[in-house]
Amino acid sequence: MRNMTRQNRNRLLSVIGLLAGLVLWEVIGRLELSPAFPPFSAVLAAVVEVWSSPRFLEALKESLISIAIALPPSIVLGVAIGLLIGRYRRVEWALDPLINTFLSLPLVALIPVLFLIFGLGRGSILATIVIYTFFIVVVNTAAGVKTTDPEIVEMARSFGAGEAHVMNRVILPSALPLTFAGIRIATGRAIRAVIIAEQVIGLIGLGGLVQRLGGAFAVEQLYAVVLFVGLFGLVSMEAVAIAERKALPWIIAQEETEPAFQGA
Amino acid sequence: MIEIREIGRQFNTRDGGTFEALKDVSFSVKDKEFFSIIGPSGCGKTTLLKMVAGLVRPTSGQIVIDGSPVSGPGNDRAMVFQHFVLLPWADILTNVGFGLEMRGLSRRESREAARPFLDRVGLTGFAEHYPHELSGGMQQRVGLARALAVSPDILLMDEPFGALDAQTRQLMQEDLMRIWDVEQKTVIFVTHSMDEAAYLSDRVLVMDTHPGKVREVLDVPLPRPRDEAVRTTPVFNELTSHMWHELRGMIGDPTAPAPE
Repeated sequence: MRNMTRQNRNRLLSVIGLLAGLVLWEVIGRLELSPAFPPFSAVLAAVVEVWSSPRFLEALKESLISIAIALPPSIVLGVAIGLLIGRYRRVEWALDPLINTFLSLPLVALIPVLFLIFGLGRGSILATIVIYTFFIVVVNTAAGVKTTDPEIVEMARSFGAGEAHVMNRVILPSALPLTFAGIRIATGRAIRAVIIAEQVIGLIGLGGLVQRLGGAFAVEQLYAVVLFVGLFGLVSMEAVAIAERKALPWIIAQEETEPAFQGA
Repeated sequence: MIEIREIGRQFNTRDGGTFEALKDVSFSVKDKEFFSIIGPSGCGKTTLLKMVAGLVRPTSGQIVIDGSPVSGPGNDRAMVFQHFVLLPWADILTNVGFGLEMRGLSRRESREAARPFLDRVGLTGFAEHYPHELSGGMQQRVGLARALAVSPDILLMDEPFGALDAQTRQLMQEDLMRIWDVEQKTVIFVTHSMDEAAYLSDRVLVMDTHPGKVREVLDVPLPRPRDEAVRTTPVFNELTSHMWHELRGMIGDPTAPAPE
Protein backbone atom coordinates (compact mmCIF):
# COMPACT_ATOMS: atom_id res chain seq x y z
CA MET A 1 0.00 0.00 0.00
CA ARG A 2 2.80 2.35 0.86
CA ASN A 3 4.19 1.67 -2.62
CA MET A 4 0.93 2.71 -4.21
CA THR A 5 0.98 5.96 -2.31
CA ARG A 6 4.53 6.65 -3.39
CA GLN A 7 3.56 5.89 -6.98
CA ASN A 8 0.66 8.31 -6.75
CA ARG A 9 2.90 10.98 -5.28
CA ASN A 10 5.38 10.50 -8.13
CA ARG A 11 2.56 10.78 -10.69
CA LEU A 12 1.39 13.96 -9.03
CA LEU A 13 4.90 15.41 -9.32
CA SER A 14 4.93 14.57 -13.04
CA VAL A 15 1.61 16.33 -13.53
CA ILE A 16 2.79 19.39 -11.61
CA GLY A 17 5.96 19.53 -13.71
CA LEU A 18 3.93 19.32 -16.90
CA LEU A 19 1.49 22.02 -15.77
CA ALA A 20 4.34 24.33 -14.77
CA GLY A 21 5.81 23.89 -18.25
CA LEU A 22 2.49 24.74 -19.88
CA VAL A 23 2.02 27.84 -17.71
CA LEU A 24 5.52 29.00 -18.63
CA TRP A 25 4.68 28.39 -22.29
CA GLU A 26 1.48 30.45 -21.97
CA VAL A 27 3.26 33.33 -20.25
CA ILE A 28 6.13 33.47 -22.74
CA GLY A 29 3.69 33.11 -25.63
CA ARG A 30 1.67 36.08 -24.42
CA LEU A 31 4.81 38.23 -24.42
CA GLU A 32 4.56 37.98 -28.23
CA LEU A 33 8.29 37.65 -28.66
CA SER A 34 7.98 35.90 -31.98
CA PRO A 35 5.19 34.70 -34.26
CA ALA A 36 6.88 31.30 -34.07
CA PHE A 37 5.98 31.11 -30.38
CA PRO A 38 2.22 31.37 -29.92
CA PRO A 39 0.73 30.97 -26.42
CA PHE A 40 -0.41 27.52 -25.35
CA SER A 41 -4.08 28.56 -25.32
CA ALA A 42 -3.87 29.45 -29.02
CA VAL A 43 -2.31 26.06 -29.80
CA LEU A 44 -5.00 24.37 -27.73
CA ALA A 45 -7.66 26.12 -29.80
CA ALA A 46 -5.87 24.92 -32.93
CA VAL A 47 -5.79 21.39 -31.53
CA VAL A 48 -9.57 21.35 -31.24
CA GLU A 49 -9.90 22.68 -34.77
CA VAL A 50 -7.14 20.66 -36.49
CA TRP A 51 -7.52 17.25 -34.85
CA SER A 52 -11.08 16.96 -36.16
CA SER A 53 -10.46 18.44 -39.59
CA PRO A 54 -10.86 16.12 -42.62
CA ARG A 55 -7.45 16.95 -44.04
CA PHE A 56 -5.75 16.07 -40.74
CA LEU A 57 -7.64 12.78 -40.48
CA GLU A 58 -6.81 11.96 -44.11
CA ALA A 59 -3.12 12.70 -43.44
CA LEU A 60 -3.18 10.61 -40.26
CA LYS A 61 -4.71 7.70 -42.17
CA GLU A 62 -1.96 7.91 -44.81
CA SER A 63 0.80 7.88 -42.19
CA LEU A 64 -0.74 5.01 -40.27
CA ILE A 65 -1.07 2.95 -43.45
CA SER A 66 2.64 3.41 -44.15
CA ILE A 67 3.59 2.36 -40.63
CA ALA A 68 1.20 -0.59 -40.71
CA ILE A 69 2.74 -1.81 -43.96
CA ALA A 70 6.41 -1.27 -43.11
CA LEU A 71 6.83 -1.78 -39.35
CA PRO A 72 5.58 -5.37 -38.81
CA PRO A 73 7.73 -6.99 -41.51
CA SER A 74 10.69 -4.86 -40.41
CA ILE A 75 10.26 -6.18 -36.84
CA VAL A 76 9.77 -9.80 -37.92
CA LEU A 77 12.80 -9.72 -40.19
CA GLY A 78 14.81 -7.89 -37.52
CA VAL A 79 14.01 -10.53 -34.91
CA ALA A 80 14.89 -13.35 -37.33
CA ILE A 81 18.24 -11.83 -38.32
CA GLY A 82 18.93 -10.90 -34.69
CA LEU A 83 18.36 -14.50 -33.59
CA LEU A 84 20.79 -15.76 -36.25
CA ILE A 85 23.44 -13.18 -35.37
CA GLY A 86 23.12 -13.91 -31.67
CA ARG A 87 23.20 -17.68 -32.12
CA TYR A 88 25.77 -18.24 -34.89
CA ARG A 89 29.25 -16.78 -34.71
CA ARG A 90 29.75 -16.87 -38.47
CA VAL A 91 26.59 -14.90 -39.14
CA GLU A 92 27.69 -12.44 -36.48
CA TRP A 93 31.09 -11.96 -38.11
CA ALA A 94 29.49 -11.56 -41.52
CA LEU A 95 26.76 -9.07 -40.58
CA ASP A 96 27.87 -7.25 -37.45
CA PRO A 97 29.99 -4.54 -39.12
CA LEU A 98 27.21 -3.81 -41.61
CA ILE A 99 24.52 -3.55 -38.97
CA ASN A 100 26.63 -1.36 -36.70
CA THR A 101 27.48 0.94 -39.57
CA PHE A 102 23.80 1.46 -40.30
CA LEU A 103 23.09 2.07 -36.64
CA SER A 104 25.62 4.86 -36.39
CA LEU A 105 24.88 6.48 -39.76
CA PRO A 106 22.89 9.72 -39.80
CA LEU A 107 19.90 8.08 -41.50
CA VAL A 108 18.44 11.43 -42.57
CA ALA A 109 21.32 11.69 -45.00
CA LEU A 110 20.24 8.45 -46.64
CA ILE A 111 16.67 9.48 -47.31
CA PRO A 112 17.44 11.29 -50.60
CA VAL A 113 19.15 8.12 -51.77
CA LEU A 114 16.04 6.11 -50.94
CA PHE A 115 13.93 8.53 -52.96
CA LEU A 116 16.36 8.13 -55.82
CA ILE A 117 15.84 4.39 -55.70
CA PHE A 118 12.14 4.09 -54.87
CA GLY A 119 10.78 7.27 -56.43
CA LEU A 120 8.61 10.02 -55.01
CA GLY A 121 5.91 7.82 -53.49
CA ARG A 122 4.98 5.40 -50.75
CA GLY A 123 7.85 3.03 -51.59
CA SER A 124 10.38 5.54 -50.31
CA ILE A 125 8.36 6.21 -47.16
CA LEU A 126 8.22 2.48 -46.43
CA ALA A 127 11.94 2.12 -47.05
CA THR A 128 12.64 4.99 -44.65
CA ILE A 129 10.59 3.33 -41.92
CA VAL A 130 12.48 0.08 -42.48
CA ILE A 131 15.97 1.58 -42.21
CA TYR A 132 14.89 3.48 -39.08
CA THR A 133 13.54 0.37 -37.34
CA PHE A 134 15.12 -2.82 -38.69
CA PHE A 135 18.65 -2.43 -37.32
CA ILE A 136 17.61 -1.48 -33.80
CA VAL A 137 15.46 -4.63 -33.57
CA VAL A 138 18.35 -6.72 -34.91
CA VAL A 139 20.91 -5.56 -32.35
CA ASN A 140 18.52 -5.79 -29.43
CA THR A 141 17.43 -9.30 -30.36
CA ALA A 142 21.03 -10.41 -30.89
CA ALA A 143 21.96 -8.99 -27.48
CA GLY A 144 18.97 -10.82 -25.99
CA VAL A 145 20.16 -14.11 -27.45
CA LYS A 146 23.48 -13.62 -25.68
CA THR A 147 21.70 -13.54 -22.33
CA THR A 148 20.61 -17.17 -22.80
CA ASP A 149 21.73 -19.40 -19.94
CA PRO A 150 23.99 -22.04 -21.54
CA GLU A 151 22.88 -24.51 -18.87
CA ILE A 152 19.31 -24.36 -20.20
CA VAL A 153 20.59 -25.10 -23.72
CA GLU A 154 22.51 -28.07 -22.34
CA MET A 155 19.46 -29.25 -20.40
CA ALA A 156 17.31 -29.11 -23.55
CA ARG A 157 19.96 -31.04 -25.47
CA SER A 158 20.11 -33.69 -22.76
CA PHE A 159 16.42 -34.32 -23.42
CA GLY A 160 17.16 -34.75 -27.11
CA ALA A 161 16.29 -31.25 -28.35
CA GLY A 162 17.38 -30.46 -31.90
CA GLU A 163 18.44 -27.00 -33.05
CA ALA A 164 14.86 -26.02 -33.98
CA HIS A 165 13.60 -26.85 -30.50
CA VAL A 166 16.53 -25.04 -28.88
CA MET A 167 15.79 -21.94 -30.98
CA ASN A 168 12.04 -21.92 -30.36
CA ARG A 169 11.82 -22.99 -26.77
CA VAL A 170 15.08 -21.71 -25.26
CA ILE A 171 16.81 -19.01 -27.32
CA LEU A 172 13.73 -17.04 -28.38
CA PRO A 173 12.14 -16.81 -24.91
CA SER A 174 15.53 -15.86 -23.44
CA ALA A 175 15.90 -13.08 -26.00
CA LEU A 176 12.36 -11.71 -25.62
CA PRO A 177 12.93 -9.08 -22.91
CA LEU A 178 15.60 -7.26 -24.94
CA THR A 179 13.73 -7.92 -28.19
CA PHE A 180 10.72 -6.12 -26.75
CA ALA A 181 12.91 -3.20 -25.74
CA GLY A 182 14.05 -3.06 -29.38
CA ILE A 183 10.47 -3.16 -30.66
CA ARG A 184 9.51 -0.35 -28.30
CA ILE A 185 12.32 1.85 -29.57
CA ALA A 186 11.53 0.87 -33.16
CA THR A 187 7.90 1.93 -32.73
CA GLY A 188 8.95 5.41 -31.69
CA ARG A 189 11.43 5.59 -34.54
CA ALA A 190 8.83 4.43 -37.08
CA ILE A 191 6.66 7.43 -36.26
CA ARG A 192 9.60 9.79 -36.63
CA ALA A 193 10.61 8.10 -39.89
CA VAL A 194 7.21 8.39 -41.51
CA ILE A 195 7.02 12.12 -40.72
CA ILE A 196 10.51 12.80 -42.04
CA ALA A 197 9.92 10.87 -45.27
CA GLU A 198 6.51 12.44 -45.88
CA GLN A 199 8.01 15.88 -45.41
CA VAL A 200 10.26 15.23 -48.39
CA ILE A 201 7.26 14.55 -50.59
CA GLY A 202 5.26 17.28 -48.92
CA LEU A 203 1.87 16.09 -50.15
CA ILE A 204 0.76 13.10 -48.16
CA GLY A 205 0.55 12.08 -44.52
CA LEU A 206 1.19 13.99 -41.33
CA GLY A 207 4.67 14.87 -42.54
CA GLY A 208 3.19 16.43 -45.64
CA LEU A 209 0.71 18.34 -43.51
CA VAL A 210 3.50 19.61 -41.26
CA GLN A 211 5.41 20.71 -44.34
CA ARG A 212 2.46 22.58 -45.81
CA LEU A 213 1.47 24.24 -42.53
CA GLY A 214 5.07 25.32 -41.98
CA GLY A 215 5.22 26.77 -45.47
CA ALA A 216 2.04 28.72 -44.82
CA PHE A 217 3.33 29.99 -41.44
CA ALA A 218 0.27 28.43 -39.78
CA VAL A 219 2.26 28.06 -36.60
CA GLU A 220 -0.60 27.19 -34.20
CA GLN A 221 -1.88 24.46 -36.50
CA LEU A 222 1.64 23.19 -37.03
CA TYR A 223 2.11 22.84 -33.28
CA ALA A 224 -1.24 21.09 -33.01
CA VAL A 225 -0.02 18.42 -35.46
CA VAL A 226 3.40 18.12 -33.81
CA LEU A 227 1.71 17.76 -30.43
CA PHE A 228 -0.41 14.96 -31.82
CA VAL A 229 2.62 13.17 -33.22
CA GLY A 230 4.41 13.40 -29.89
CA LEU A 231 1.44 12.08 -27.93
CA PHE A 232 0.85 9.37 -30.51
CA GLY A 233 4.45 8.20 -30.14
CA LEU A 234 4.11 8.09 -26.35
CA VAL A 235 0.86 6.13 -26.51
CA SER A 236 2.25 3.66 -29.08
CA MET A 237 5.35 2.94 -27.03
CA GLU A 238 3.25 2.51 -23.91
CA ALA A 239 1.06 0.05 -25.83
CA VAL A 240 4.15 -2.01 -26.68
CA ALA A 241 5.19 -1.86 -23.02
CA ILE A 242 1.80 -3.20 -21.98
CA ALA A 243 2.03 -6.02 -24.53
CA GLU A 244 5.51 -6.73 -23.14
CA ARG A 245 4.24 -7.05 -19.58
CA LYS A 246 1.49 -9.37 -20.81
CA ALA A 247 3.94 -11.52 -22.75
CA LEU A 248 6.67 -11.66 -20.09
CA PRO A 249 4.90 -12.04 -16.76
CA TRP A 250 7.87 -13.85 -15.20
CA ILE A 251 10.21 -10.90 -15.65
CA ILE A 252 8.14 -8.49 -13.57
CA ALA A 253 7.31 -11.21 -11.07
CA GLN A 254 10.97 -12.10 -10.62
CA GLU A 255 11.82 -8.51 -9.88
CA GLU A 256 9.06 -8.06 -7.35
CA THR A 257 8.58 -11.28 -5.44
CA GLU A 258 10.47 -13.35 -2.98
CA PRO A 259 9.82 -17.09 -3.21
CA ALA A 260 6.21 -17.43 -2.07
CA PHE A 261 6.57 -20.97 -0.81
CA GLN A 262 9.34 -22.00 1.51
CA GLY A 263 10.45 -25.47 2.50
CA ALA A 264 11.43 -28.56 0.54
CA MET B 1 24.11 -52.44 -18.20
CA ILE B 2 26.25 -49.37 -18.60
CA GLU B 3 29.88 -50.04 -19.43
CA ILE B 4 32.48 -47.30 -19.16
CA ARG B 5 35.43 -48.53 -21.19
CA GLU B 6 38.84 -46.88 -20.81
CA ILE B 7 37.50 -43.38 -20.98
CA GLY B 8 39.98 -40.55 -21.35
CA ARG B 9 39.39 -36.85 -21.80
CA GLN B 10 41.96 -34.19 -22.59
CA PHE B 11 41.52 -30.46 -22.89
CA ASN B 12 43.77 -28.06 -24.72
CA THR B 13 44.98 -25.39 -22.35
CA ARG B 14 45.51 -21.77 -23.30
CA ASP B 15 49.28 -22.00 -23.19
CA GLY B 16 49.16 -24.71 -25.88
CA GLY B 17 49.56 -27.70 -23.60
CA THR B 18 47.03 -30.40 -22.82
CA PHE B 19 45.25 -31.06 -19.56
CA GLU B 20 44.26 -34.61 -18.77
CA ALA B 21 40.88 -34.53 -17.01
CA LEU B 22 40.10 -38.25 -17.13
CA LYS B 23 42.42 -41.19 -17.68
CA ASP B 24 41.63 -44.85 -18.29
CA VAL B 25 38.33 -44.82 -16.46
CA SER B 26 36.63 -48.21 -16.61
CA PHE B 27 33.72 -49.53 -14.59
CA SER B 28 30.23 -50.81 -15.15
CA VAL B 29 26.83 -50.14 -13.64
CA LYS B 30 24.25 -52.91 -13.38
CA ASP B 31 20.60 -52.58 -14.28
CA LYS B 32 18.47 -51.01 -11.52
CA GLU B 33 21.56 -50.26 -9.52
CA PHE B 34 21.98 -47.07 -7.50
CA PHE B 35 25.56 -46.14 -8.32
CA SER B 36 27.27 -43.08 -6.88
CA ILE B 37 30.43 -41.36 -8.02
CA ILE B 38 32.30 -39.41 -5.36
CA GLY B 39 35.52 -37.50 -5.62
CA PRO B 40 37.18 -34.17 -4.90
CA SER B 41 36.34 -31.13 -7.03
CA GLY B 42 37.98 -31.25 -10.42
CA CYS B 43 38.21 -35.05 -10.59
CA GLY B 44 36.01 -35.06 -13.69
CA LYS B 45 32.98 -36.76 -12.17
CA THR B 46 30.51 -34.35 -13.73
CA THR B 47 32.28 -34.62 -17.08
CA LEU B 48 31.99 -38.38 -16.82
CA LEU B 49 28.26 -38.11 -16.13
CA LYS B 50 27.79 -35.79 -19.09
CA MET B 51 29.55 -38.35 -21.26
CA VAL B 52 27.01 -40.97 -20.20
CA ALA B 53 24.30 -38.40 -20.99
CA GLY B 54 25.79 -37.98 -24.45
CA LEU B 55 26.52 -34.28 -23.93
CA VAL B 56 30.31 -34.56 -23.88
CA ARG B 57 32.44 -36.80 -26.08
CA PRO B 58 35.35 -38.73 -24.60
CA THR B 59 38.73 -38.17 -26.26
CA SER B 60 39.37 -41.89 -26.00
CA GLY B 61 37.42 -44.95 -24.94
CA GLN B 62 33.77 -45.73 -25.22
CA ILE B 63 30.55 -45.84 -23.23
CA VAL B 64 28.28 -48.74 -24.06
CA ILE B 65 24.70 -49.06 -22.85
CA ASP B 66 23.04 -52.46 -23.30
CA GLY B 67 25.43 -53.26 -26.09
CA SER B 68 25.18 -50.01 -28.09
CA PRO B 69 27.79 -47.27 -27.88
CA VAL B 70 26.64 -43.81 -26.75
CA SER B 71 26.85 -41.23 -29.54
CA GLY B 72 24.55 -38.56 -28.11
CA PRO B 73 21.57 -37.99 -25.82
CA GLY B 74 18.97 -40.75 -25.97
CA ASN B 75 15.46 -41.62 -24.85
CA ASP B 76 16.81 -44.17 -22.37
CA ARG B 77 18.50 -41.50 -20.22
CA ALA B 78 17.41 -38.36 -18.39
CA MET B 79 19.45 -35.92 -16.37
CA VAL B 80 18.87 -34.00 -13.14
CA PHE B 81 21.04 -30.89 -12.77
CA GLN B 82 22.79 -29.36 -9.79
CA HIS B 83 21.28 -25.92 -10.36
CA PHE B 84 17.84 -27.29 -11.29
CA VAL B 85 17.93 -25.51 -14.71
CA LEU B 86 14.21 -24.79 -15.03
CA LEU B 87 12.71 -22.50 -17.65
CA PRO B 88 11.98 -19.25 -15.77
CA TRP B 89 9.35 -18.23 -18.34
CA ALA B 90 7.31 -21.42 -18.13
CA ASP B 91 5.03 -22.63 -15.35
CA ILE B 92 5.78 -25.79 -13.38
CA LEU B 93 3.62 -28.10 -15.48
CA THR B 94 5.29 -26.97 -18.72
CA ASN B 95 8.67 -27.41 -17.04
CA VAL B 96 7.87 -30.97 -15.99
CA GLY B 97 6.61 -31.73 -19.51
CA PHE B 98 9.60 -30.06 -21.20
CA GLY B 99 11.51 -33.30 -21.80
CA LEU B 100 8.47 -34.85 -23.43
CA GLU B 101 8.04 -31.75 -25.56
CA MET B 102 11.66 -32.04 -26.73
CA ARG B 103 10.87 -35.60 -27.74
CA GLY B 104 8.13 -34.50 -30.08
CA LEU B 105 4.94 -34.19 -28.04
CA SER B 106 2.87 -31.02 -28.39
CA ARG B 107 2.83 -28.54 -25.51
CA ARG B 108 -0.69 -29.62 -24.58
CA GLU B 109 0.10 -33.34 -24.66
CA SER B 110 3.28 -32.97 -22.66
CA ARG B 111 1.54 -30.86 -20.01
CA GLU B 112 -1.17 -33.47 -19.72
CA ALA B 113 1.34 -36.31 -19.46
CA ALA B 114 3.37 -34.35 -16.87
CA ARG B 115 0.59 -34.09 -14.32
CA PRO B 116 1.01 -37.50 -12.60
CA PHE B 117 4.75 -36.82 -12.16
CA LEU B 118 3.97 -33.58 -10.38
CA ASP B 119 1.92 -35.64 -7.94
CA ARG B 120 4.72 -38.16 -7.55
CA VAL B 121 7.20 -35.55 -6.29
CA GLY B 122 4.61 -33.98 -4.01
CA LEU B 123 3.95 -30.78 -5.95
CA THR B 124 0.25 -31.28 -6.71
CA GLY B 125 -1.32 -27.86 -6.78
CA PHE B 126 1.78 -26.05 -8.02
CA ALA B 127 1.15 -26.75 -11.71
CA GLU B 128 0.49 -23.14 -12.64
CA HIS B 129 3.18 -21.57 -10.48
CA TYR B 130 6.44 -20.23 -11.85
CA PRO B 131 9.86 -21.54 -10.77
CA HIS B 132 10.86 -18.33 -8.97
CA GLU B 133 7.87 -18.78 -6.65
CA LEU B 134 9.28 -22.08 -5.38
CA SER B 135 12.04 -22.80 -2.87
CA GLY B 136 15.22 -24.57 -3.99
CA GLY B 137 14.04 -27.93 -2.73
CA MET B 138 10.77 -27.60 -4.60
CA GLN B 139 12.58 -26.50 -7.74
CA GLN B 140 14.72 -29.62 -7.64
CA ARG B 141 11.57 -31.72 -7.25
CA VAL B 142 10.47 -30.17 -10.53
CA GLY B 143 13.85 -31.13 -12.01
CA LEU B 144 13.36 -34.70 -10.81
CA ALA B 145 9.77 -34.86 -12.08
CA ARG B 146 10.94 -33.57 -15.48
CA ALA B 147 13.46 -36.41 -15.69
CA LEU B 148 10.99 -39.07 -14.48
CA ALA B 149 8.36 -37.84 -16.95
CA VAL B 150 10.28 -39.11 -19.97
CA SER B 151 10.30 -42.59 -18.39
CA PRO B 152 14.04 -43.17 -18.70
CA ASP B 153 15.72 -46.46 -17.81
CA ILE B 154 18.67 -44.48 -16.49
CA LEU B 155 18.62 -41.40 -14.26
CA LEU B 156 21.77 -39.29 -14.33
CA MET B 157 21.97 -37.02 -11.32
CA ASP B 158 24.67 -34.36 -11.13
CA GLU B 159 25.04 -33.29 -7.49
CA PRO B 160 21.28 -32.75 -7.45
CA PHE B 161 21.13 -31.73 -3.81
CA GLY B 162 24.44 -29.86 -3.74
CA ALA B 163 22.78 -26.44 -3.93
CA LEU B 164 20.35 -27.11 -1.06
CA ASP B 165 20.66 -26.47 2.66
CA ALA B 166 21.39 -29.38 4.98
CA GLN B 167 17.85 -30.12 6.21
CA THR B 168 16.28 -29.83 2.75
CA ARG B 169 19.03 -32.02 1.43
CA GLN B 170 18.27 -34.79 3.91
CA LEU B 171 14.55 -34.60 3.17
CA MET B 172 15.25 -34.82 -0.55
CA GLN B 173 17.48 -37.87 -0.04
CA GLU B 174 14.70 -39.67 1.82
CA ASP B 175 12.16 -38.77 -0.85
CA LEU B 176 14.50 -39.89 -3.61
CA MET B 177 14.90 -43.22 -1.82
CA ARG B 178 11.14 -43.64 -1.64
CA ILE B 179 10.70 -42.78 -5.31
CA TRP B 180 13.57 -45.01 -6.38
CA ASP B 181 12.18 -47.96 -4.39
CA VAL B 182 9.03 -47.70 -6.52
CA GLU B 183 10.55 -46.72 -9.86
CA GLN B 184 13.43 -49.20 -9.92
CA LYS B 185 15.64 -47.32 -12.33
CA THR B 186 19.36 -47.39 -12.85
CA VAL B 187 20.78 -44.27 -11.19
CA ILE B 188 24.22 -42.73 -11.57
CA PHE B 189 24.52 -40.15 -8.84
CA VAL B 190 27.41 -37.70 -8.68
CA THR B 191 28.05 -36.18 -5.29
CA HIS B 192 30.79 -34.82 -3.06
CA SER B 193 28.99 -35.88 0.11
CA MET B 194 30.17 -39.18 1.58
CA ASP B 195 27.12 -39.34 3.80
CA GLU B 196 24.81 -38.98 0.83
CA ALA B 197 26.69 -41.57 -1.23
CA ALA B 198 26.58 -44.15 1.59
CA TYR B 199 22.92 -43.53 2.41
CA LEU B 200 21.63 -43.79 -1.16
CA SER B 201 23.88 -46.20 -3.05
CA ASP B 202 24.34 -49.86 -3.79
CA ARG B 203 27.90 -49.13 -4.81
CA VAL B 204 30.13 -46.08 -4.63
CA LEU B 205 32.94 -45.26 -7.04
CA VAL B 206 35.68 -43.21 -5.37
CA MET B 207 37.58 -41.14 -7.90
CA ASP B 208 41.16 -39.99 -7.84
CA THR B 209 42.11 -36.59 -9.17
CA HIS B 210 44.78 -35.08 -11.50
CA PRO B 211 44.01 -36.91 -13.69
CA GLY B 212 40.58 -38.25 -12.74
CA LYS B 213 40.65 -42.03 -12.51
CA VAL B 214 39.04 -44.89 -10.63
CA ARG B 215 40.46 -45.31 -7.14
CA GLU B 216 38.11 -47.99 -5.89
CA VAL B 217 34.53 -49.20 -6.07
CA LEU B 218 32.89 -49.83 -2.68
CA ASP B 219 29.92 -52.05 -1.94
CA VAL B 220 27.35 -50.61 0.45
CA PRO B 221 26.14 -53.63 2.43
CA LEU B 222 23.15 -51.87 3.99
CA PRO B 223 19.70 -53.50 3.78
CA ARG B 224 16.83 -51.85 1.86
CA PRO B 225 14.50 -50.14 2.23
CA ARG B 226 16.64 -47.73 4.20
CA ASP B 227 15.53 -45.01 6.57
CA GLU B 228 17.22 -42.47 8.79
CA ALA B 229 18.25 -45.18 11.24
CA VAL B 230 20.94 -46.57 8.91
CA ARG B 231 22.93 -43.36 9.34
CA THR B 232 23.85 -44.41 12.88
CA THR B 233 24.80 -48.03 12.13
CA PRO B 234 28.44 -49.17 12.43
CA VAL B 235 28.48 -50.26 8.76
CA PHE B 236 27.45 -46.78 7.67
CA ASN B 237 30.05 -45.10 9.84
CA GLU B 238 32.77 -47.48 8.77
CA LEU B 239 31.94 -46.77 5.14
CA THR B 240 31.93 -43.00 5.45
CA SER B 241 35.14 -42.93 7.46
CA HIS B 242 36.77 -45.20 4.87
CA MET B 243 35.71 -42.79 2.11
CA TRP B 244 36.93 -39.87 4.17
CA HIS B 245 40.28 -41.57 4.59
CA GLU B 246 40.59 -42.14 0.84
CA LEU B 247 39.52 -38.63 -0.10
CA ARG B 248 41.63 -36.92 2.52
CA GLY B 249 44.69 -38.62 1.10
CA MET B 250 43.87 -37.06 -2.28
CA ILE B 251 43.24 -33.59 -0.97
CA GLY B 252 46.48 -34.00 0.94
CA ASP B 253 45.59 -31.77 3.87
CA PRO B 254 46.06 -33.45 7.24
CA THR B 255 44.37 -30.56 9.03
CA ALA B 256 41.18 -30.85 6.96
CA PRO B 257 37.99 -30.95 9.07
CA ALA B 258 36.21 -34.19 9.89
CA PRO B 259 33.58 -35.64 7.56
CA GLU B 260 30.07 -34.21 7.59
